[in-house]
Amino acid sequence: MLKNLLGACGQGDREAFHRLYRETSPKLFGVALRIVRREDWAEDIVQESYVSIWKHAGDYRTQLSAPLTWMTSIVRNRCLDWLRRPNLELAEDDEHPLDAMAGDLAGPLEQLQASTEAQALANCLGRLEARMRQAIALAFFDGLSHSELADHMREPLGTVKTWVRRGLERLKTCLGT
Amino acid sequence: MDYLKHREVCEKLAAEYVLGTLRGPAARRFARLARDHATIRLMIQEWEARLGPLAAPIPERAPPASLWNRIAASIGASAGAPARNPGLWASLAFWRSLGMLGSAVAVALLAVLVLRPPEKVEIQVPVEVVRLLPPKNEIPPSYLAVLEDPKTHQPVMLAIAGRNSDQLFIKTVYERPIPSNRDLELWALPDGAKPRSLGVIGAGDRPKLKLAGNADADLGNIPMLAVSLEPKGGSPTGGPTGPVLYTGRCLKLW
Repeated sequence: MLKNLLGACGQGDREAFHRLYRETSPKLFGVALRIVRREDWAEDIVQESYVSIWKHAGDYRTQLSAPLTWMTSIVRNRCLDWLRRPNLELAEDDEHPLDAMAGDLAGPLEQLQASTEAQALANCLGRLEARMRQAIALAFFDGLSHSELADHMREPLGTVKTWVRRGLERLKTCLGT
Repeated sequence: MDYLKHREVCEKLAAEYVLGTLRGPAARRFARLARDHATIRLMIQEWEARLGPLAAPIPERAPPASLWNRIAASIGASAGAPARNPGLWASLAFWRSLGMLGSAVAVALLAVLVLRPPEKVEIQVPVEVVRLLPPKNEIPPSYLAVLEDPKTHQPVMLAIAGRNSDQLFIKTVYERPIPSNRDLELWALPDGAKPRSLGVIGAGDRPKLKLAGNADADLGNIPMLAVSLEPKGGSPTGGPTGPVLYTGRCLKLW
């Protein structure tokens, strides 16, 4: 259904775009909020993302991933870019989101199991060594870079890079896609 | 490195690009590769499909009602189909990188776009840029040239100078690497006279050139600028010796 809405957007159908927004914005806003942790930033990012989605909806036909996955990637990429802006303004008593890590990964990883669409991925993640899984989860959910991972996990840079790389390789093999 | 010969490396890069651990210049290079190569785009999409479900457990949250209004305003009043390939002008990353130059320049560039001869470029002006109005005491630069590839009209660099200043700033908006034994040199092209060098463009994100006089003196009646590829250290002859890569009208805004 989302595919059809996206197709219509590609034809310039603004009503379809509004419907798409109503269907998907809570998810996309939730994703942005999870990564950047500030509502005003998340709003800006989601706004920019939907404008991009509108512009590129016509190209969607060529995408392999599900519509929501495509849209979520757009949001995630903007979140990660946003966190690395040099002129990121923070209120005086605000922590930079990258520092304000609550380490609340247990929640997402457990819930992954419960979600039907994520079963295969959850199983494959489960087979990874704990530290590998943690590195990948921190990168995905909190947008940590290699060096931030090294700091947060208190490991050498080379180690975390290897964990991420091997973890991704093993996921690919395990998922068999 | 010829990325396409090394499929495994591309796979690894695609995975980390999607995960988010590939960042900065390396990520931008990879994104450009993806734009030009369908194989790479496919790899990225496959990884998006693999890792995408990770987002499933992230809780939903309804955004404020006003957000839709802002989005609707941003996509403009046109009911037609959006531009298929809006290019750099409509790219938010371009506008954001402009924003880092300073709001005054962003507004100046907006003025340029209005003054240019009509082209079929659909520009969606992001709300972010409209919000960037210069404070009352900040003076926008007078001289602005958008140096673009004449074949593709891809904007590559901006050159900016304030009237009374002897400094000309260059901002690269589209990275195009050059051989390490070469330099880029900027030329003023006066009407009916030989090109005059404004200097070699240094490395770095925002190189600056020192003008002989101030901008009014050096750029006042120059209609065009050009960038040529020269030996390291610049042209030995005082005129361009290598190919002209980019050209642009030099506009005096005020």
